[in-house]
Amino acid sequence: MRKEDTVKLISAEGFEFVIDKEAAMVSQTIRNMLTSPGGFSETEHREVTFPEISTTILEKICQYFYWSLQYANGKETEFPIEPELTLELMMAANYLHT
Amino acid sequence: MSMYIRVKRNKTTYFIQCDPTEKILGIKQKLNVLIDQPVNDQQLILFATGEVLEDSKSLAEQKVENDTIVALTLRKDGNEFEEVNIEQLNDFYQSRDTDAGNW
Repeated sequence: MRKEDTVKLISAEGFEFVIDKEAAMVSQTIRNMLTSPGGFSETEHREVTFPEISTTILEKICQYFYWSLQYANGKETEFPIEPELTLELMMAANYLHT
Repeated sequence: MSMYIRVKRNKTTYFIQCDPTEKILGIKQKLNVLIDQPVNDQQLILFATGEVLEDSKSLAEQKVENDTIVALTLRKDGNEFEEVNIEQLNDFYQSRDTDAGNW
């Protein structure tokens, strides 16, 4: 495990989630931010701030990234979503191309 | 990757990929890479029960499963470990009501 292989996602309230780059790349939007040459400062600092995504939703999204990796590896579990989070989660997922 | 745990301290959460047979010491070594704190200055506590996790035991032996929340505390200047401190977003629903445009 190397520090360079992780990224930090920061929520609207300033909570931080340190996750594997591999997991973050599940999101096409984050993938673009981290891999596009010479555009985003995010590429260098491995830090992305989402002023419009609340902490609860951002954590759920991170859990989804890891679930997605596990699922791709053949583990067949369901991803639980609390009904009250559904709408916000969909909006965030849409933005993140997830 | 077979599983991950969520290691929390203050406002930060570290998602750590791991294996059920992995020892707690191994988790601390991974954390050392991320936070530059020596293994001996870290203490991991099962958040749900408050149980201190032992270095020599594996995750499975101590019932740490996929997606489990584990609290991280660090040794203070003296010799004591700090108290568990995980900031929660208690006013989430409240703040959402007053600020409907924010997601």
